[in-house]
Amino acid sequence: MLHYLIMCRSLTYAQRAVRALAHVGISAFVMKAPAGASSGGCAYCVRISENHLTDALRSLKNAGLQPGRIFIQSDDGLYREVSSVE
Amino acid sequence: MIYLDCAATSLQKPAQVSRAMLRAIHTMASPGRGGHPASMRAAETAFQCRSEIADLFHVGEPERVIFTINATHGLNIAICNMVSPGDRVVVSGYEHNSVMRALHLRGANIDVAASPLFDKEAAIHIFRRKLPGAKAAVVCHVSNVFGYILPVDEIAKLCEAEGVPLLIDASQSAGCLPIDFAALRADFVAMPGHTGLLGPQGTGVLLCRNVPRPVFAGGTGSESMDIEMPQYLPDRLEAGTHNIPGIAGLLEGVRWVKKKTEPSILAHERTLLYDLADRLRGVDGVEMFLSPDKEVQTGVLSFRVRGMDCETLASRLAEKQVAVRAGYHCAPIAHRTAGTIEGGTVRVSISPFNTQADIASAAERIKISMKKA
Repeated sequence: MLHYLIMCRSLTYAQRAVRALAHVGISAFVMKAPAGASSGGCAYCVRISENHLTDALRSLKNAGLQPGRIFIQSDDGLYREVSSVE
Repeated sequence: MIYLDCAATSLQKPAQVSRAMLRAIHTMASPGRGGHPASMRAAETAFQCRSEIADLFHVGEPERVIFTINATHGLNIAICNMVSPGDRVVVSGYEHNSVMRALHLRGANIDVAASPLFDKEAAIHIFRRKLPGAKAAVVCHVSNVFGYILPVDEIAKLCEAEGVPLLIDASQSAGCLPIDFAALRADFVAMPGHTGLLGPQGTGVLLCRNVPRPVFAGGTGSESMDIEMPQYLPDRLEAGTHNIPGIAGLLEGVRWVKKKTEPSILAHERTLLYDLADRLRGVDGVEMFLSPDKEVQTGVLSFRVRGMDCETLASRLAEKQVAVRAGYHCAPIAHRTAGTIEGGTVRVSISPFNTQADIASAAERIKISMKKA
């Protein structure tokens, strides 16, 4: 099973993103980002299921929240960047 | 004990405050320091507290709610950002030493806009006169000595018109007066968590309009490869481990205030305060500093007794299980402004948990304590 990781600039920002997504019925949660996914050191991201990326990005934009880099991760923990949203 | 010293710190708190603190001690670690459940529970508690406070004070984004250890901490962060040595800073005549000493330490040229007690028009007039050319202004929303509600809305408008950054000390208003941070357009609002918001000691909040420079630096659990503090709030101003038990308690205090509402809390405190004033009015030797216009008065009353040291009276009251505060209340400038610098005052401050019976009993014990030994 695959899921997306949306990088967030801070833990609080990630928490706001989760709340905004919950508001439109998208299940998401905050987790520590994989070490290699952040060039700046420790970071947090929002994890969503693979079916929700488009809706999630639209909802975050509507909520005035700017997502960072996006990664796709499989259950075995491997991940790769799929897009960069600036 | 009848506790009438809520302006210093609240003693009675909603039961859920201590329950939440105990739960936090046993189940929560540090937010932003791990991905494990104990850390994430702490993160969720901190976020909920930020969000509730942002909602209560119309802050907009929870990131702009900064946790501090008390109001003084927040005031110092703000003053370090707003004031450079030699800057002329306009303050009201009712500021606490948490403002005055911080400005002095910073080397500010403090310009006191002194105006008579409970006279809003006079306060507005003197701020209008003094603000042009000032580098910053600092105003307490409510005097901690006299419970006088200063006209901060009007002063904020004057500051905006003159382009003068404004810091509001909401130590005595948070929890009993509505504060609309967005509408005020102040640069900073600082407040404790342990007075009107009914949280525990060791908590405070700073509301920020912009992103200030950090005053302290350290670990934040974010951007850890960078030697600089993060550029964004709240991380930029929150170095080191958070007081999560305190924040958990503060969250419950804020929820209690929101449920009760500030107008109903203020109405309760005012009713009891004016009841006390009625009971003391006419007692020989008692001089009260109370506004006849209730709209400019919170639940704080200063008084003195002719021929009696205020500390003596407070000590006698303590022996009779009535907790009040006497002296200068860390605000000598307020006493200079109001004409009570000779000896200070006895201060009674009412909390949402005081009752009419408390007031009736306290009034009798004050009268007894006034009698010469």
